Amino acid sequence: MLDAGAAHPGRTAFHHLESLARSNGIGKARVKAVLEKVGLESVAHKRLGGFSLGMRQRLGIAGALLGDPAVILLDEPVNGLDASGIRWIRSTLRSLAAEGRTVLLSSHLMSEMALTVDHVLIIGRGRLLKATSMEEMRDRFARDVLVRTPRAGELATILTGLGASVTSDGGEELVVVGVDAVTIGGAAAAAAIPLHGLTPRAATLEDVYLELTNDAAEYRAAPEKAA
Amino acid sequence: MTMTTLQEPTLQEKPTVPRVIDSVSPTSGTRVFRDTVAGEWIKLRTLRSTYAFLVGGLGATMLGSLILYLLIQSYDKATAADKGNFETADPSVVSIPFVMFFVGSIGAMLITSEFTTRSIGPGLLAVPQRRLLLGAKATVAGTAALLAGLFFASLSFASAKMLVGDRPAPINPWPVWTDALPKVFCATIIVMVTTIVAVGLGTWFRSTASTLVTLGSLLLVAPAFAHFLPTVWQLRFGSILLPNLIPQLAGSNHPYVLSQGGAVAVTVGYLVLALGAGTISFVRRDVS
Repeated sequence: MLDAGAAHPGRTAFHHLESLARSNGIGKARVKAVLEKVGLESVAHKRLGGFSLGMRQRLGIAGALLGDPAVILLDEPVNGLDASGIRWIRSTLRSLAAEGRTVLLSSHLMSEMALTVDHVLIIGRGRLLKATSMEEMRDRFARDVLVRTPRAGELATILTGLGASVTSDGGEELVVVGVDAVTIGGAAAAAAIPLHGLTPRAATLEDVYLELTNDAAEYRAAPEKAA
Repeated sequence: MTMTTLQEPTLQEKPTVPRVIDSVSPTSGTRVFRDTVAGEWIKLRTLRSTYAFLVGGLGATMLGSLILYLLIQSYDKATAADKGNFETADPSVVSIPFVMFFVGSIGAMLITSEFTTRSIGPGLLAVPQRRLLLGAKATVAGTAALLAGLFFASLSFASAKMLVGDRPAPINPWPVWTDALPKVFCATIIVMVTTIVAVGLGTWFRSTASTLVTLGSLLLVAPAFAHFLPTVWQLRFGSILLPNLIPQLAGSNHPYVLSQGGAVAVTVGYLVLALGAGTISFVRRDVS
């Protein structure tokens, strides 16, 4: 599915799909089935001109499902959708994957993809820069651990002794790099230091993407000059 | 850009593997073309403009009959000397060019509406073979035009014959009903050819406005323009215009210059030129 909005506004949803289906020898029963699958059966005979963007996205997915494909390729499927539309797309794509299909999404919406997908392929200037699972990426690109304790100075000294790099805001918060949350928790417990917070912070998909595509970016805004 | 995949989850129970529907398995070229034609037929009959242009064709036919009625009223009131100077009550001059425009517009809309609404994208995803897709569109438009052309031409000539009755020539060019049949047949063919030419023009221009203006210029403006040319060029230029091919194809070439064979060659030339240009444009130019 490349462009969900690419449909004649004067045609009904059913006729739009029927014309695509019939050109591939697919019958009306399948058209009805995919309309039901994407929840558009009640508006199947309404003209597309009155469809919202979300409804058009559903129609686009219905069109992609007509041939019952094993691989589904969708380009920017959540662009312009509201929260409920995004949630619907996410659950639909997951259910399609659960049926045994491979669902390949192309998107620039990193935060949304981080919530939706299992595997990530990062492409820059036509080259594959990274192919990894989301889980692996979370582990590999773990950033730091945020620690909140009333005895920040003592804990910082202990953690530095364990080889960690610790920065402090002068108050109760420490940002620790180089050891994981389990080690920090253990060290604090051993020294009877109370912890009010222990938060491992991973790099976001956006951070990783920007880091990996730094050299591959085609257009870049000029850095703002200090006043 | 990030490409992301949803992997098959680890499930205790193996999910149902999506099946490939039998009917989308590789099939013969004939079957693929037949399916594509069926898809295009659905597109044609679900376009509102198709019906609007058919109503336009009916309106042109009825208006043409009204004009012929007024001509015959005037004929009946004329003196015997003046009656010899009357034009023939021939709908191929009065209403058929407008019918050609309206029915031809159906062919134009079959392709230009897809470019203007970007639905050409999903259409090409469904049928990536561009020549085949254009051929299916031309086939569907041509078939619809053949039926519509036969209906409008029959209605035009039948009403003209009913109006003119037993009056003598020149206002009555057909002493008996069957004399009009060659022109009815040729008018039907030319309506069909015009519609296929409109498909080619629409594929070339990718714009409804440009295509309809060009079609209208070919059918309605050019014949009027020809009247301003010197007599020799008026006949030469007029002879190759689509509406004027009807009498020449029917074998009554007066006052034009083409033989029946020449008229057939020019008609085929229109098809080759328009569909050739359309095919080159469709195959070579990107649609995004």
